[in-house]
Amino acid sequence: MSKRTKIDARGAFCPGPLMEMIAAIKLIEVGDELEVLSSDKGSAADIPEWVKKVGHELVGVTQEDKYWSIVVRKAK
Amino acid sequence: MAGAPLYIVLCSGDHEKLQMAAMMASVGAVSERPVHLFVSMNALFAFDGTAAADQRYKGGQFSKLMREKKAPDAIDLLRQGKELGDLSVYACSMALDVAGWSEDRLVEGLFNGALGLTRFLSDAENGQLVVM
Repeated sequence: MSKRTKIDARGAFCPGPLMEMIAAIKLIEVGDELEVLSSDKGSAADIPEWVKKVGHELVGVTQEDKYWSIVVRKAK
Repeated sequence: MAGAPLYIVLCSGDHEKLQMAAMMASVGAVSERPVHLFVSMNALFAFDGTAAADQRYKGGQFSKLMREKKAPDAIDLLRQGKELGDLSVYACSMALDVAGWSEDRLVEGLFNGALGLTRFLSDAENGQLVVM
């Protein structure tokens, strides 16, 4: 069963949330998921772009009250 | 598959340009694209290892905003790019000579060494060159 790790990057500006996510994704197993919380609108768009570029899987992006939740599954 | 290497020549000491160069270098490097950053002219002074961190960046209106909003530090971003991706950082040997600096004067743990422009440009023939 896959595990999900949460990263709270709210308050950080681009490319802070992306860099935090990349550091974390190196530490999890293939098939596991990361949930990144970001209040930076640019990162909510950039993280899915990065995921697509390097070949991981975007599980979903959800807009909450004052932040976005971006869930990524490690694919390789 | 790795993208074409990105070669960035950073000459400006303006905080805004340093920040943009650091963002491009770090994000490029973690996106499976080799990045090579060449630091020269006034940009060198931002990498003075003897300077206080809060005195490092000189800029205009946007620099002030970035400080107020606590945007990521440019040198921290470059360190992350090196740690997480394929990023090399070189100090221009001519700029070091003119400033009278040795490599020891540069911020710790960031530079791969000193390099001449001729070698950097020769390497850059294989990729995309951006000058800031």
